[in-house]
Amino acid sequence: MALWVDKYRPRELSKLDFHKEQAENLRNLCKQSDFPHLMFYGPSGAGKKTRIMCLLREMYGAGVERLRSETMTFTTPSNRKIEVMTVSSNYHLEVNPSDAGMYDRTVVIDLIKQVAQTHQIEISGQREFKVIVISEGDELTKDAQHALRRTMEKYVATCRIIISVNSTSRIIPAIRSRCLGIRVAAPNETEIVSILQSTCKREGLALPVELAKRVVDKSERNLRRALLMLEAAKVAKAPFTANQEIPDLDWQVFLRETASQIISEQTPGKLEKIRERLYELLTQGVPPNLIFRGLVEQLVNNCDMSIKAKTLEFATEYEHRMQTGAKHIFHLEAFVAQFMNIYKKFLSELVMTDDF
Amino acid sequence: MKTFLNIFLRFYQLVTLQNKKKRQNLKMSARKKTWVRCAFSEMNISTTPVTPEATPAKRTRSSRNVSTRTSRSQSGNSTPKQVLPIESVDLTAVDDENDAESTGPTPEVKANWMESFAPAASEDLAVHPKKIGELRDWLRHCEAMRKKFPAQMCLLTGPTGAGKTATLRVLANEFGFQVQEWINPVDCEVVNALGDQSSGSSYVGSHLEAFKSFLLRASRYKSLLDSHSKRLLLVEDFPNVLLSDKEANFEEILDEYSTYGKSPLVFIVADAKSRGLNISYRLFTDQLKAKHRIEHISFNSIASTIMQKSIKVFCSVMQQPQNKATYTLPSSTVVDSIVVGAQGDIRNALINLHLSSLKGVPSMPTKQLNVSVATKGRKKKMQSTLKSIGRDESITLMHALGRVLNPKFNEEKHMLHSPEEITEAFSTEPRNFVNFVHANYLPHFKDIEDVVAAINDLGLSDVMLDEYRDSSLSTMGLNIAIRGAMLANSSPVSGWMPVRGPKRINIHSQATLAEQRLLGVGYSGISKSLYATEYSSFVKCIAGKLSESQSSQSTDSI
Repeated sequence: MALWVDKYRPRELSKLDFHKEQAENLRNLCKQSDFPHLMFYGPSGAGKKTRIMCLLREMYGAGVERLRSETMTFTTPSNRKIEVMTVSSNYHLEVNPSDAGMYDRTVVIDLIKQVAQTHQIEISGQREFKVIVISEGDELTKDAQHALRRTMEKYVATCRIIISVNSTSRIIPAIRSRCLGIRVAAPNETEIVSILQSTCKREGLALPVELAKRVVDKSERNLRRALLMLEAAKVAKAPFTANQEIPDLDWQVFLRETASQIISEQTPGKLEKIRERLYELLTQGVPPNLIFRGLVEQLVNNCDMSIKAKTLEFATEYEHRMQTGAKHIFHLEAFVAQFMNIYKKFLSELVMTDDF
Repeated sequence: MKTFLNIFLRFYQLVTLQNKKKRQNLKMSARKKTWVRCAFSEMNISTTPVTPEATPAKRTRSSRNVSTRTSRSQSGNSTPKQVLPIESVDLTAVDDENDAESTGPTPEVKANWMESFAPAASEDLAVHPKKIGELRDWLRHCEAMRKKFPAQMCLLTGPTGAGKTATLRVLANEFGFQVQEWINPVDCEVVNALGDQSSGSSYVGSHLEAFKSFLLRASRYKSLLDSHSKRLLLVEDFPNVLLSDKEANFEEILDEYSTYGKSPLVFIVADAKSRGLNISYRLFTDQLKAKHRIEHISFNSIASTIMQKSIKVFCSVMQQPQNKATYTLPSSTVVDSIVVGAQGDIRNALINLHLSSLKGVPSMPTKQLNVSVATKGRKKKMQSTLKSIGRDESITLMHALGRVLNPKFNEEKHMLHSPEEITEAFSTEPRNFVNFVHANYLPHFKDIEDVVAAINDLGLSDVMLDEYRDSSLSTMGLNIAIRGAMLANSSPVSGWMPVRGPKRINIHSQATLAEQRLLGVGYSGISKSLYATEYSSFVKCIAGKLSESQSSQSTDSI
């Protein structure tokens, strides 16, 4: 039993549903004996990971699909043990160093050393290098990225690195220049609709076009989200109808409620309650920048035109501070307080002008 | 001729050195001890009769003089010559004598001037009577249980200079216990069969062994030179092995002691600010305390009124005939400033008093503190502290937090505690303090506009604290945060507000087993944040539905 996302994930480059030209290019790349470090970049749910796996299959054959998950333990210089989950086959190793938080530098160095210092046992018919897939590379700290740069050069004979990132802006130029960048754009709406339709056909379900369109709208062109959403909708109500309810992401619902609470009352007491809610989101594991963005979107949509510009101005300032600082909650809270202040002033002015 | 004489003298010295090596060792230790005593020892530690029977490890610093020195005048008169007959060789004392002879008219300096101020009876102690009572109860309990369970244990904690050791010594004297103290040996070396000096681990072991044998032997066998029948062991100086090495098991030693020990055992631990340094926290876990029924008595720092009283007593001691030559009475402002400066540390107060009242010392400059204290007569009395001596004011985290969140202003709208003062007093971990301020500032605010100003500064300080390339930035960041929280609040809310600690965000993977199975092996490839944002809500409902349908299927089949 697998999720639709995994069940109907294309396994070969030739079977990809969109960006077919790019797939052809990737296949050409594999045919050559040498192969550079790669960096796949594009929005979440655009198919970066799918393309990486297809590429690996193209290079190594079906063997890369025999995956095993493994928990690796690393010891930091301060003698702290950290555990990182990895997925690997005989030919590649996939790791998420961002889970190690501030200790990702150790993970990156140790992992690459471990992998790169061993040669492939059977060279016949295979490449003589292994591949390390680093997902969410833009979450790596600067420290880890610099460490990566050095190891990338040193072990180029035995291993290649494929980094998957959302945005190249958070990757240091040194790494950007060492990798061949491959942009994977999000699929457009018609592409997603056709993928949803074909998925439903293979599942033996009929999907009304209206529902498909609504799912696409709600998923913000994120294919993974669209597929999960559709499956969740199917679980909720088995034969699809055109106007059935589509489940939401619960943290988005939570954020929406938070935003409406901010607008309803502007006092320090309320701010404290909002802080609790923000803490809850953070402990759930929702990254702070997503929280910030969602909050700004909701607040700007629900306030008067005259204060929108000011809200956005403050949002940029505090978002920048959040990126440089360490305690995200400080800056989220600062933004909420600032918005409360603006909104309260706006309301009191409104009352004054009404009096005249 | 002269050179020949010199050589002869040197030769003679060498010979005596060789012959009396053992004796020399004793001398060395005696010299060490007197030095140590000046710096660290408690008030009434007397000279040590180093008995030849004592092994180098088990050096009992017995306080036999506690009993003999009941009248102060006697100890005041105790010139070095009187000390000498007690078998101990006190080199410093001899030096003192020489000094006194050479400098002539200057008043003699006693080996341990603190002794003459030491309390002799429990009434003289500056400790709160309740605490004395607690310790007395414990000692009474020891008496009662002497036959059945002689190895009672007790732990005294408290800030430095709270009179822990002094109380114990006075009470032990009252009950007729002989206090035998463990002192970490400095020259404990193990020589193995080949005569080589041992290295590393065996040295550590021997240190621990020495401690163990001290505990067991000292509690059983009394000193040959002593008339006391009851002994009380005191461990104030913990063997370093116990602190650094977790394998050296403190618990085991206590287990052993509780079965074989024959005397009550007292541990004295001074409080330390940080947890890592706090011995009472690290060694004496609650479990251990419960297991051996260790009586924990925690002393508080000495209140200023009691301190004032005892300083008066000190002053009266100073005026006694044998001390008159040494001391002049300090003025009352100086005495007050000493009390303020000592912050409940009576030993420190005594040292300051000693310094400021020595003859020939110009009167100490005092500094006015901008803290006014309302006295009984409704007069505002300015407090002052000694300018050059006295302790820096150090405040605890909670104290500082109170000052920041409830800023006080004087008549001219100036702050009583300037942000700089607080920053300086509390600069160990700026990040920690800022987190605490953030967790607690909100309830003190009434207006959202003030909150904006405060949180803005907190955010700024967070950014500054994160910048590790310049160390001064962290202090500056702390200052900004403190300033922000203190100044932004134009209309503070008063009332009881419990202090909360900063929240820690621990992201835990919240996927249940069923959800993980649904995702298969790929689950480990999904990062926590991605799972939380994209997968969790959908997967939760899909997995929930699946398990439902499975259970309904199973009921159908039945």
